[in-house]
Amino acid sequence: MNTETIAEELSSLVGNKNILIDYDSRMIYAKDRTQNLIPDPSLIVFPRSESQIISIVQWANHTRTALVPSGGRTGYSGGAVAQSKEVVVSFDKMNHILAYNSEDQTVRCQPGVITKNLQNFALENNLYYPVDFASSGSSQIGGNIATNAGGIKVIRYGLTRNWVYGLNVVTGNGDLLHLNKGLIKNASGYDLRHLFIGSEGTLGIITEAIIKLSTLPSESKVALLGVQEKNTMVEILNIYRKDLQVTAFEFFSEAALKHVMCESNISHPFKRAMPFYILLEYESSEFNDEVFLGLTESCINSSSINDAIISQNMAQYKYLWSLRENISMSLSKYLPYKYDISVMPSKIPVFIEEIEDLLNKTYPDFEIIWFGHIGDGNLHLNILKPVELKGSEFFEICDEMSDAIYSLVNYYNGSISAEHGIGLLKKKFLRYTKNDVEIGYMREIKKIFDKNNIMNPGKIFDDS
Amino acid sequence: MKVLVAIKRVIDPYVKIRVKQDHSGVETQNVKMAMNPFDEIAVEEAIRLKEKGLVEEVIVVSIGDKSVQETLRTGLALGADSAIHVETDQLFSSLLIAKILKQMVQKTGSQLIILGKQAIDSDNAQTGSMLAALLEWPLASFASKIMLQGDKCQVTCEVDGGLQTVELTLPAVITTDLRLNTPRYASLPNIMKAKTKPLTVIPFNSFDISPNMDMHTIDVSPPPVRKAGIKVASVQELVEKLRHEAKVLL
Ligand SMILES: Cc1cc2nc3c(=O)[nH]c(=O)nc-3n(C[C@H](O)[C@H](O)[C@H](O)COP(=O)(O)OP(=O)(O)OC[C@H]3O[C@@H](n4cnc5c(N)ncnc54)[C@H](O)[C@@H]3O)c2cc1C
Repeated sequence: MNTETIAEELSSLVGNKNILIDYDSRMIYAKDRTQNLIPDPSLIVFPRSESQIISIVQWANHTRTALVPSGGRTGYSGGAVAQSKEVVVSFDKMNHILAYNSEDQTVRCQPGVITKNLQNFALENNLYYPVDFASSGSSQIGGNIATNAGGIKVIRYGLTRNWVYGLNVVTGNGDLLHLNKGLIKNASGYDLRHLFIGSEGTLGIITEAIIKLSTLPSESKVALLGVQEKNTMVEILNIYRKDLQVTAFEFFSEAALKHVMCESNISHPFKRAMPFYILLEYESSEFNDEVFLGLTESCINSSSINDAIISQNMAQYKYLWSLRENISMSLSKYLPYKYDISVMPSKIPVFIEEIEDLLNKTYPDFEIIWFGHIGDGNLHLNILKPVELKGSEFFEICDEMSDAIYSLVNYYNGSISAEHGIGLLKKKFLRYTKNDVEIGYMREIKKIFDKNNIMNPGKIFDDS
Repeated sequence: MKVLVAIKRVIDPYVKIRVKQDHSGVETQNVKMAMNPFDEIAVEEAIRLKEKGLVEEVIVVSIGDKSVQETLRTGLALGADSAIHVETDQLFSSLLIAKILKQMVQKTGSQLIILGKQAIDSDNAQTGSMLAALLEWPLASFASKIMLQGDKCQVTCEVDGGLQTVELTLPAVITTDLRLNTPRYASLPNIMKAKTKPLTVIPFNSFDISPNMDMHTIDVSPPPVRKAGIKVASVQELVEKLRHEAKVLL
């Protein structure tokens, strides 16, 4: 079907004001934060209601048109990228918080609600939405659910999955399902809600969510710890975790910090640079502050930590966090090849060592940037493109490198994607995390919800 | 030579200020507090002078209830040598504070006083100049650069439309502006050290100063709520509204 006909037919469903077809919009809306994929959608449609979504999906089944759900487009896996004339379904116009239930401390929201807006809404009601990361000012709840987003507070509050108490979805077949309806307990057979969480738009469209909010945490403090060795970090975490409520435990290297300092034009937080840093956030009180100081002092005495600075006010709190949060953005101009790997936290030390050995031996010329949610066993290893290599050449070499790195992931029973998803970028490596039998079941599940394979086809695995 | 740095505990500048129900002031219960940012710059400058070997001792002083001791400890963690807490539950005007500071200057034998140019809560920008007047010492306000040499001090001051460089002969009073320096972070070893540094408490009533308020707060009210904007459908409608409702177009 040609684009004009598609536009005409969709206009009759949603009105022509809710369709964009121009070149610029197509380039913007059919792409996430991945940098090496070229978008080529047919057009973008902006449904304004659940019923419009149902009619769009029914139309897509009827016409066998592929749909790509597109949220805040902050994904790093190509999940929201349309490359073969698909219709992009954007939720920008379904961005309302529909209801707030103060007794249950839940909110009902449309998929296009920006993550930060939900966080702010919670704060206005003296509550807290704990899923947070550097892109929360752009990402959407629907996208967060479709990727089961993690972020910087997972160590304390878990992933997006923990906070989704109900979901409305329109399956690829066009059926509207009301899943779990906000219940805390519900033992009535398969909990399909959890299949849709993290499904990357391949099973259906999330049209509404009931999100649980948390009570407000007490004031927190953040410290930046300078360490010599990255393989002691899990040990250090365990020392703190025994006596303190740790709410974040992030790590990054001096190399990462240098890029942030350069990009944001700020000076070094420490007098003397250290190879690695841990950003530790904990729930503060007079008592906890003493505990924290005591633990840190003994770590310094035993040389597992070399130096530490602690936020004394909110400006410093924000500044220290910005050192961690601005890493991704400060690297993007280098066209980095991004890893989002995970293993059990206890395996982190050996795992890091082996990866480092491998990279040093095989790719000594590549600049390697380490950072990640180390408390969750999640490493965001970034390899920067050397200027002399073309993007395509670089990514080709990196794909080779991935086979070696992912073999290690496989050996340590880890995952090739901790939180960004598989999308387009990592599907050829999926077998390092899931075996053929498991992938076979996944394919069958997709077929049940999406008989005609119209929902984000080619994402997670190739069409069979 | 001793440097005295006056610091005030204020609501953290990042906190959204809420006016009390009865309009008697702003809400401070369970609100995050911090060192006045300009005072932080003053502490940093004093410590830098000490690190350069230009002064021997940095003393921080704060006036207020027991909680200001936490702020003083921050000053000590940044590198001050000792702290003085003038204890009172009352909230004083700039003039009363200046009177107390004058006596502290004399008690400690300080030759240089550095203060923030203003406290971000009351925004008066008066204490430093009042203190200089009471002491009859020279004053350089809104400093963005300080060069100390012997008993001479060259200070670059931010004035309307430019910079003014003045030379003072010590003893003198200086108030700090934003560009003077970037305060350092409190490192853990220094926070630990700060715990054992001397912090002297002096009750306000041991001063020969009348606590009679020379200033009374009558009412504190929040700014009027802004009216929500409206969306217009066309440029014509916009022009129409600007002309007839907002009356900004002829
Ligand atoms: C600077 C930066 C930092 C980041 N840090 C983190 C981090 O710490 N942790 C983390 O987990 N992620 C992180 N991310 C990745 C990204 O922000 C998350 O994956 C986020 O959840 C994506 O949300 P989105 O709305 O942008 O989704 P998009 O990128 O638009 O889409 C993601 C996937 O969800 C699908 N989708 C979107 N909306 C719907 C819907 N309504 N129904 C069905 N499917 C839908 C899309 O088809 C796609 O497959 C980061 C990204 C950036 C740029």
